[in-house]
Amino acid sequence: MTSAHNASSIAVSPPSERGPWRSSAMSFRAVSSLGRWGRERVEGLGQTGHSLLDTISAVRDVRTWWPQVSPQAMSLGVRSLPIAAYMAAFTGIVLSLLASYSFTGAVPDYFVGTLVEKTITMELAPVLTGLALAGRVGANIAAELGTMRVTEQIDALETLSYDPHAYLVVPRVVAGTIMFPVIVGIAMFVGIAAGWICSTWLLDLTSADFTKGIRLFFKTFDVQYGLVKAASFGTVITWIGCMDGMKARGGAQGVGAAATAAVVHSAVTILVLDALFATFWLLGHEP
Amino acid sequence: MRRPTDFAVGLTMLGGFLLVTGGVMWTKGSRIGGADVHASARFIDVGGARIGTPVVVRGVKAGEVDRMELQGRFVVVRLKLDPAIRLPDEPVVLLNESSLFGEWQATVTARDAVGRDEEVLRQLGEANQGGDVLPGATLPDIAKLTAVAGRIAGDVAAVAERVDVAFDAAAARELRGSIRDFSALSTELAKVAREQSRHLETTSKQVRGGVDQVAHAAELLLAVSQRIDSSTASGELGRLVNDANDAARQLRTATANLSTVSERLIRSQMKVDAFLASVDSIAVAVNSGRGTAGLLVRDSSLYVNSNAAIAELRALIADVRANPRRYISVKIF
Repeated sequence: MTSAHNASSIAVSPPSERGPWRSSAMSFRAVSSLGRWGRERVEGLGQTGHSLLDTISAVRDVRTWWPQVSPQAMSLGVRSLPIAAYMAAFTGIVLSLLASYSFTGAVPDYFVGTLVEKTITMELAPVLTGLALAGRVGANIAAELGTMRVTEQIDALETLSYDPHAYLVVPRVVAGTIMFPVIVGIAMFVGIAAGWICSTWLLDLTSADFTKGIRLFFKTFDVQYGLVKAASFGTVITWIGCMDGMKARGGAQGVGAAATAAVVHSAVTILVLDALFATFWLLGHEP
Repeated sequence: MRRPTDFAVGLTMLGGFLLVTGGVMWTKGSRIGGADVHASARFIDVGGARIGTPVVVRGVKAGEVDRMELQGRFVVVRLKLDPAIRLPDEPVVLLNESSLFGEWQATVTARDAVGRDEEVLRQLGEANQGGDVLPGATLPDIAKLTAVAGRIAGDVAAVAERVDVAFDAAAARELRGSIRDFSALSTELAKVAREQSRHLETTSKQVRGGVDQVAHAAELLLAVSQRIDSSTASGELGRLVNDANDAARQLRTATANLSTVSERLIRSQMKVDAFLASVDSIAVAVNSGRGTAGLLVRDSSLYVNSNAAIAELRALIADVRANPRRYISVKIF
């Protein structure tokens, strides 16, 4: 802040100066802005790395974080179940209708089951649930911790010799890592069941055909892949929410900005992770 | 407050675990309790079959492929079967595509039901190594059949192209002309055949008349032969035959003599030829003035000398006659 302040004070040139002095002052301001941007990025990376190391080191303090896991699992996981199931159900319905529409006359109808199963278990259940929970859980965590930060509750914890990472971050990350696969697993079941019901009710497809399609190309790897992705999304969403919340500054505006940043960062990270999983795990896996 | 929270979280986790595990087991057709029955089959090649490929017995899904491993030049496939399934007598396992979309299945069937496909029988024969491992064969997949069909279609297209090249409009015109010519020719042939038929009928009538005449002649011949038979009954014919034999014998003797005479004549002719050749050569020599005779014939001096010598000889003889003592002296002691 000091250097930034100095740069801005130097950039303000006396009004009497004109011509060459004015152009050199503008150049100076532009270079200073670039330097400030670079410093903030590096500073951000450094803070993120520090926070990651603090979180990892806080895992050893089991007595502090373990009692907090269950309430966080309840808050992040169980209470997120309705929204996850709701999304999965409608995704399954739309997917079966879309598959039936696409396959008409060219592909056997039982491939509707195959498409619903593969898409729900491997992609849509983890990613859509992750994105939904990035909004709900990530924003919740960021707002909660941001409020604690701006009201100096976290400072109070530090004063009382509590490690805020052990007390606030680790239980949320652990709860998210454990509960997200559970939620996504249930979402998989709900999505496929909704697709099944929709196929038998709305489409000219028998229950036997749908189950034949599900079983035709089903592999345990499909579920494994989706659940591992869900666990990673749970870890990332909760940790990003915690980090953005703990970095909150100012008042209510800072808390709101932290919540927004948490959602955006979580959503972007989920999509990047999804692509990385597909590239490095799915691509090399024998079908 | 803590206990209800823990319970809710635990219940959610348990519910999620049960749902996922149960769903996976149901989808894979796994059963809790009740051991599965396993059977192994040996293949040269498993084609597109994979672990999880359904096993079908008489058209009903009865299990799935559980494991695959290479053993020497074979692939041994373990099948996980429903315990209630009873395999047919002399079972064999056929791997084949079950649809056009790359799905495969393992069909367990009786060996008698395989049919007469030589390739399948060959694979089964090679895979039949005895023991508990069933022999297996892989049927060609759609891609192979399509490739063969493609080659056949290509050949047909090539043949059609050649026919198209060979059978152009001119060829078609010629063919039509040939057909017309053939039609006219067949009409002519029919006409000729009718004509020949009439001729044949006439000829057959004539032949019939000729046969009648021959029969009449045969009757006459029979009568003549009866007469001859009656004439030979008194021995005249025997004598005629004996006379003929004698005449033939004499004729043979005369022929032999004539043959000898002709041989001698040939030899005489050869000697005469040789003599004439010699005379000819002498005559040529004489004519050319070679040798004594030639010189005698061609040189007139010899003739003159001879005349002179003869004249001297006559004079000598006359002198001898006149004066014998001049030339002859006889002394006794």
